[in-house]
Amino acid sequence: MAPKSTSSKATTVSPSSNPVLALWKSYNEQTPDRLRFIDAFLVFLMLTGVIQFVYCVLVTNFPFNAFLAGFSSTVGQFVLTASLRSQVDPENKNEFKEVSPERAFADFAFGSIVLHFFVFNFLG
Amino acid sequence: MLPLLSLLISLVTLVVARSSTGTDVLVIVSAEEQKDYTLFFEDLEGRGYDLFFREPKAEKPVLLDADVPQFHHVLMLASDTKAFASDITPQNIVELLTKNVNVVVALSPKQNLFYTLAPEFGLVPPPPGTPLISYFPERTDPPTVLPVHVAPGPIVTPNTPPVWFSGIPFSVGNSPLLVPILNAPSESFASDSDSTTESIVESVEKGGEGLWAGSSLGLVTGFQVTDGGRALFLGGGAILSDAFANKALPDGSSSGNKQIAHDVSAWAFQESLVLRIDETSHHVVNATEPKEYYTTNDQVVYTTKISRWNAKENEWEPHTGVDDLQLEFTMLDPHVRTGIPEDLARPGTYSVTFRAPDRHGVFKFIVDYRRKGWTHLKSAITVPVVPPRHDGYPRFLSAAWPYYAGAVSTSVGFVLFAALYLAGETKEAGKKKKE
Repeated sequence: MAPKSTSSKATTVSPSSNPVLALWKSYNEQTPDRLRFIDAFLVFLMLTGVIQFVYCVLVTNFPFNAFLAGFSSTVGQFVLTASLRSQVDPENKNEFKEVSPERAFADFAFGSIVLHFFVFNFLG
Repeated sequence: MLPLLSLLISLVTLVVARSSTGTDVLVIVSAEEQKDYTLFFEDLEGRGYDLFFREPKAEKPVLLDADVPQFHHVLMLASDTKAFASDITPQNIVELLTKNVNVVVALSPKQNLFYTLAPEFGLVPPPPGTPLISYFPERTDPPTVLPVHVAPGPIVTPNTPPVWFSGIPFSVGNSPLLVPILNAPSESFASDSDSTTESIVESVEKGGEGLWAGSSLGLVTGFQVTDGGRALFLGGGAILSDAFANKALPDGSSSGNKQIAHDVSAWAFQESLVLRIDETSHHVVNATEPKEYYTTNDQVVYTTKISRWNAKENEWEPHTGVDDLQLEFTMLDPHVRTGIPEDLARPGTYSVTFRAPDRHGVFKFIVDYRRKGWTHLKSAITVPVVPPRHDGYPRFLSAAWPYYAGAVSTSVGFVLFAALYLAGETKEAGKKKKE
């Protein structure tokens, strides 16, 4: 769902020859900037989550509450951001008729603030 | 006059109270037998004891008045007496022992109430009328009067010469409270002195079964009551008598009876091998006051001070040199069991530092020191061990920095994302308006 979006290198390889490149090209061409920006944030969250999980498995899970707080903050933020993405996607307009993009962002911001409140309480 | 009086008082205090419990001794002995023990009684009086004599059948002075012991020590030398006054019963003697009164009991081949008392302490006497007999070494005395080699032990003075003995042996049970002091010679046996050969032949036919013989039989055995009282059982009162104290051994040298009478009475009357715990304290490292409760993994310091009674100086002195003292920190089971080494800077003080277990609950510091012959030491202090308070845990550990960084970066990312998102929205709105 979240292909690489950080770079937009122009490729000279023929799109028809490689499905992955074709997908990448069509993503770059057809996705609005706003959604690509959200995707970039999702990738960032996923990477920080993976780093923490690997650190927990390979180095230490002590103190465990800090791991839970750090890891769940990335997971929770990822879920909230993914929800925002589906709600503001113009293609999903019919499914979220009563949710305007502004309302979706307000929900996202409120949920995130609550999430970070709990995360920092649990982190210490 | 006054200096003379004070001198008299100091002289009295010098002599009096050599025992750690008291000086009053009740001697239950018949008038005829009393004459046999003058040397022993002189020795006792010389050590500051006040002797009170009572005929076995006399009603006074009583052992217990309204359950209060009237004497510090009781000496039962009336071994040949069959009937005693109404208050001299096995039950009362046990009662005395539980009240920290020391009791010395002399048994004899004639059956009396002590024959039922001794088995209560794990000492089983042979059938009545069967004294200890030995035909070795060769001597002119009757076979029932025999010299016994004194094995070294904590109670008797080292190198005590052999002692004369006449009386009965008893089999010594396996109670850990029993303290064997003098055992029978290995070639001796208990038998009816009129028919020794017959009984030996009979028991040889049975493979030795039923023969009271050998060095595992006790002649003088102590019993350390858990509360501190001491009981001493003698196979015969004669071992304390003048006759045996003055009687020369078969090789002509003098016997050790006087010495052993002194030693065993010193032990029985709590002069020697008496210990006590003066004080115990506990606190966390780098503190002085005990804490009301300890936290798991605290470093706890436990200190105890042990004193030994010095009968010569008539005072308690620090007891040094114990290298096998143990402390247990228990909650049902000992979670920590560690030796308590001596604190060499403070004599008689034993101290140990240990980490409280990572387990909360109600714990006890237990010192339980029992060695044969010595007074038992027992101390138990109950302390709760609690988990750390909610703010008592370590914080901002270096190991957790990746997690902190992860949480902070998510928050910062959220703020930046929200700002850029809103900025993009106004841009788009502007674009739309322009269009």
